[in-house]
Amino acid sequence: MKTAAELKFGETGIINEIDESHPSSRRVLEFGFTPGQEIELVNTSLFNDPLAFAVRGTIIAIRKGEADCIKIT
Amino acid sequence: MNIQTEVNIPHISLVGPPNSGKTTLFNYLSGKNYKTVNYPGATVEYSICKLQDKFGYNANVIDTPGLISLLPGSPDEEISINSLYSHPRFGTPDLIIVTVDTSQLSRHLLIVKQLLSCHFNIIVALTMLDILKRKNYDIDSEKLSSLLNCPVIKVDPRTGSGVIELIEKVETLVNNKVPLNKERTSRLDERDSFNDLLATYREIEAIENEVLIKISPINLTKANKRLKILINPEAKIECKEIDRTTLKIDKVLLHKVWGIFFFFIIMAVTFTSIFWLAEPLMNMVDSLFGFLSAAAFNFLGNNWFGDFIAKGIISGTGSVLVFVPQILILFLILGLLEDSGYLARGAMLIDKPLSRIGLNGKSFVPMLSGFACAIPAMMATRTIPNKRERFLTIFILPLMSCSARIPVYALLIAFLFPADKSWMGGIMLACIYIFSIVSSVAVAGIINKFKNTLIKTEDNSSFILELPAYRKPKLKVVVTNTYHNGKHYVKKAGPIILGFSIILWFLTYFPNTSPKIDTGNLTKLQLVESQNAARLSSSYAAEMGKLIQPAMKPLGMDWRVGVSLIAAFTAREVFVSSLALIFKVTDDINKDFQNSMITAMRKAEIDGTGQKLFTTSTIIGLVVFFVFALQCLSTVAVSRKETGGWRIPLLQLLIFTSTAYLLTFITVNGLRALGFS
Repeated sequence: MKTAAELKFGETGIINEIDESHPSSRRVLEFGFTPGQEIELVNTSLFNDPLAFAVRGTIIAIRKGEADCIKIT
Repeated sequence: MNIQTEVNIPHISLVGPPNSGKTTLFNYLSGKNYKTVNYPGATVEYSICKLQDKFGYNANVIDTPGLISLLPGSPDEEISINSLYSHPRFGTPDLIIVTVDTSQLSRHLLIVKQLLSCHFNIIVALTMLDILKRKNYDIDSEKLSSLLNCPVIKVDPRTGSGVIELIEKVETLVNNKVPLNKERTSRLDERDSFNDLLATYREIEAIENEVLIKISPINLTKANKRLKILINPEAKIECKEIDRTTLKIDKVLLHKVWGIFFFFIIMAVTFTSIFWLAEPLMNMVDSLFGFLSAAAFNFLGNNWFGDFIAKGIISGTGSVLVFVPQILILFLILGLLEDSGYLARGAMLIDKPLSRIGLNGKSFVPMLSGFACAIPAMMATRTIPNKRERFLTIFILPLMSCSARIPVYALLIAFLFPADKSWMGGIMLACIYIFSIVSSVAVAGIINKFKNTLIKTEDNSSFILELPAYRKPKLKVVVTNTYHNGKHYVKKAGPIILGFSIILWFLTYFPNTSPKIDTGNLTKLQLVESQNAARLSSSYAAEMGKLIQPAMKPLGMDWRVGVSLIAAFTAREVFVSSLALIFKVTDDINKDFQNSMITAMRKAEIDGTGQKLFTTSTIIGLVVFFVFALQCLSTVAVSRKETGGWRIPLLQLLIFTSTAYLLTFITVNGLRALGFS
């Protein structure tokens, strides 16, 4: 399954599940990345890491390694 | 307003996610008449105020740092959360006001639900309704209140609308409440927090769908253009769209190439303005205290008391206040950058390079503050969730070129370059700054290699940060915060610096208070100066200095520099005033202090050898020493407090000071080998 880290610039996806085994999974949930939400990759910085996603009406910057726990369809 | 005596009135905590309008509401409630205090036993700051008299209700309001969840993710969050359960001084709050940005309802209701499930007495204050309306939505606050089973009030803290209603409700609730105690409130269970969070969000989404009401769009054609809605009308709630202006600005400021370019431009402008804007103000403070000191000395006479007041107290106070302009300007610019929404982006841009050397994007703001003073910078590291990254940030902060080094560099640079070539001095200062940044990166990289032996802790490295919508900074709020930061610095660092400068005065004045000198053919001024010199060379400080003479010899320096270096451990800038004392340069307002200082330094010779004390090589050596040496006891004290032990501060002291000594030795002797004097 694709993860949020694999989204292309400007691409959207719907969150399918959050990988509970990832150490940042709880924080990811608290910032509003929950199953069913639509997210869009709105910005990448120079090094393609961290990535900035639009979620629930705001922009959240998150490291690529942490975005990996967000599985999308 | 005396808050100490008001422990027995109701106390209300203000809780809310970052950017939810919490601080704006707090400012409205306090009328900007608040004070910043530390949580007892911890260095997390919070603001406390009494409700303004015009509300007619006597209660304390405590502002807390922004929280998105009751499950702590960083040290400062943990302390804030603990304080809700049992504040060391006020106990559990009688009531919690939770600010909720209605345009971000689903995210911001999380903490509301968590507080409710932990049985806190809360009232919800809905903010940012104008933004919600711009998105063609409204909110049914009565329905929200019944669904949440807690009171909900719409407010606009910028204009104050709804605030009176909020206070009335607060008063009724506090008067009729079931007394809250530790037994009633419960902690969130961390064991199954993942599934609990999912369940909470499901409840929140159900609530959101019921309370958000779509208002008919004013412009139908515009709405019809949003194809997605036509194709799949229930795909997403339209109010979750991102602010378009923000996205447009981000296209430039977070651009792959231009983003970094603008980052450096913004940083460069920040630093140059700190120096250029602060310089005239610092000179004013300096000459004011020079004048006061001279006036006091003339008035009280040439005796120990006059000397104590003039040099110990007045000059000591001056050395505290001279940095206030710079600290204020730095905090002002940082505040403007933060309020505009840029700082979070800066942290994002620099996260990757910083994570390579074991730091975090969130180390960015503390490191920036470190250029003013390491003390507030160390406190600012509390937002870094990972302990190792936080400790490593604290570790390298003393290498950031803090403002206390500026007077030292200014003197040393002025010695190297003639006055008519001051631009060369500017380039040299820029080089020193770049050198200090490069050194701190190198040190962080090296320490990171030995991380397991030096910083013994390991947990998940994380960087998740909200990038708030860009907005025009509110100058009033920023200025108020800057004022409080400045006041905080004076209160905290002031007594320490002043205390040490008094001790230093004592050590340079006693025991030989009235030395016998040949008074023939001397003017009054010359008499005072020769007395000073004779007194100093037989003082306690000189005795101590002679003890370290062997250590100074390899550096091509003597005890006089040694004493000044030791004195600089109280605060780096003391180096200059101490040299002035030793080379009997009086703070005479009729002469340019720096010029007379440099003339005295050029004349100085190492005792008995005829060799010049200050040469190109020893001056550059001193610059290198000041880049590395941890010459600030206050920093050591704060480092101990922040890291919870002596291990890190002692390692810092040992590593930085020995590196400084070693590199100074290499620099001085290397330059000499290359033919520089």
